[in-house]
Amino acid sequence: MLELTNLHARVVPEDGPAREILKGLSLAVPAGEVHAIMGPNGSGKSTLSYVLTGKHGYEVTGGTATFEGKDLLSLAPEARAALGLFLSFQYPMEIAGVPVMTFVRAAMNAQRKARGEPEVSAPDFLKLSRVAAAKLKIDPEMLKRPLNVGFSGGEKKRLEIYQMLMIEPRFMILDETDSGLDIDALKVVAEGVNALRGPTRGMLVITHYQRLLDHIKPDRVHILSAGRIVKSGGPELALELEKSGYDQFLKAG
Amino acid sequence: MQLADLPSRRSEAWKWSDLRAAMAGQEGVLTGTAAIDAEGPISALAQAMGDAYGPSALDVAAPGETFETRITEGDAGQYGSVIVRAGATATLVERLNVSGSRLRPFLPSFSRIEVEPGATLHRVVVQANALPAGQADAAIVLNQAVVKLGKGATFRQFVLGEGARLARIEVSVDANEGAQLEMNGVYLASAKRHIDMTSRVTHRAAGVHTRQLVRGVARKGGRGVFQGKFLVERAGQKTDAEMAHNALLLEEGAEVFAKPELEIYADDVACAHGNTAGQLDENAVFYLRQRGIPDTEARAMITRAFLLEAIPQWMAAELYAEIEARIDAWLGTQP
Repeated sequence: MLELTNLHARVVPEDGPAREILKGLSLAVPAGEVHAIMGPNGSGKSTLSYVLTGKHGYEVTGGTATFEGKDLLSLAPEARAALGLFLSFQYPMEIAGVPVMTFVRAAMNAQRKARGEPEVSAPDFLKLSRVAAAKLKIDPEMLKRPLNVGFSGGEKKRLEIYQMLMIEPRFMILDETDSGLDIDALKVVAEGVNALRGPTRGMLVITHYQRLLDHIKPDRVHILSAGRIVKSGGPELALELEKSGYDQFLKAG
Repeated sequence: MQLADLPSRRSEAWKWSDLRAAMAGQEGVLTGTAAIDAEGPISALAQAMGDAYGPSALDVAAPGETFETRITEGDAGQYGSVIVRAGATATLVERLNVSGSRLRPFLPSFSRIEVEPGATLHRVVVQANALPAGQADAAIVLNQAVVKLGKGATFRQFVLGEGARLARIEVSVDANEGAQLEMNGVYLASAKRHIDMTSRVTHRAAGVHTRQLVRGVARKGGRGVFQGKFLVERAGQKTDAEMAHNALLLEEGAEVFAKPELEIYADDVACAHGNTAGQLDENAVFYLRQRGIPDTEARAMITRAFLLEAIPQWMAAELYAEIEARIDAWLGTQP
């Protein structure tokens, strides 16, 4: 479903020299699978999520990234979203003056329009929203407030998953979704995420910790270090990491 | 009055809105205009150009009255006064619509406003362009209000400015004890448009509460000017005043000039001002695009929300919707 081959990318800050972050990353996530990416700070985890979704300031210098055979890298961020790519941000943006529901409905309809599908009707939208909010234990009043403005870290993460449930993406990238969540919130969020697992969907879960993977069980675990995958394995790899740390793998890499 | 009498960029109050340069070639309208007095050039120009209210004041004694004035090419210029009697409530809507056939429209207007003790005035100024771009490119629109607030009076104002070759909407308020002020505004400066919002509030006595929020956007070749001054006199103890001006430069080559000023002679006051001018937050734009909203729409959505925050809730629904629609049109029709 998602195939990355020898991907090289650098971050180009507005004020400062470009830095090479991804240095030949190869990865394949077949439909129906959940892959976890673990790695120490600075290994390129967030860069990977931004390169895949097309954020400004990230430049691909080599390699390929395809989604169901389509070249992702030539597409605008909104076109990638319409294909079904969804990023749950590590730090969701606060969008002043735009209520959550207004925003999500605009997003759903923009994607549908891009795919040549009819818009979601107001009653259908409200129904979907009620179900998603209940699943994530979100106070419906919160959905009338400006997106993420004044929300706590945990609320923002919940809102990311709410958007995910509403948009029903084909491929999800979860960037440190566990950070800022207490254990109860983590369970709620993980249940939301698991509800979207299915044979036609794929997922990349980026995390520092095993904790999240107790709740969102991965099919494969990859260790990212210095911009490359240095080790891949089954779920047991995450447990091993938890026990003995990254060092052993970094040396091997 | 002669061209040389008009303020130019050498004059501090007009340094970003060079009236003399803009009026060059329009000397004809200055003939017979009285000399400029302490209130500045707008009152003299408006007085010479028209007297739409007639010689007697617009006198509001009953509560809840709404007055609407239109200033178009047909009756170029207005000069008049408004008095809201003690305890009355009124809404004054001033539309500065550049329209009509003149190639170089010139629309000066001036009002002297008194809000008596305990009275309330809501004032909405809509400076919009409903004419071929060529005429707006040449139009000069000047508006000034001099407002006197009695004890415990309430004055709320909202101004929408779309600019012209030169448009200036100026207000000076003299606030007495316990007066409540709100003075918000939105300006939209596209190419070849200059919109200047200048204001001055004198907090003459104790306990005046003032809130000002002006939001503006400018595109390439457009220019926004904000000059705001809060003066707190020695007697203005317990003044509570906040001024904010925030501008977004939507394109390279857009210009915004701002001068927020506080001048305080009382020692027990809470006064603050904030002023920002910057670009759209690209991280926010990316967030929206990641959710599938195309770039242009994402920018419009964020910009719209930014501007709408300055539109007060006290405005009548129809007026609110009209302002909102003008903002949408501006965001949507301008590439």
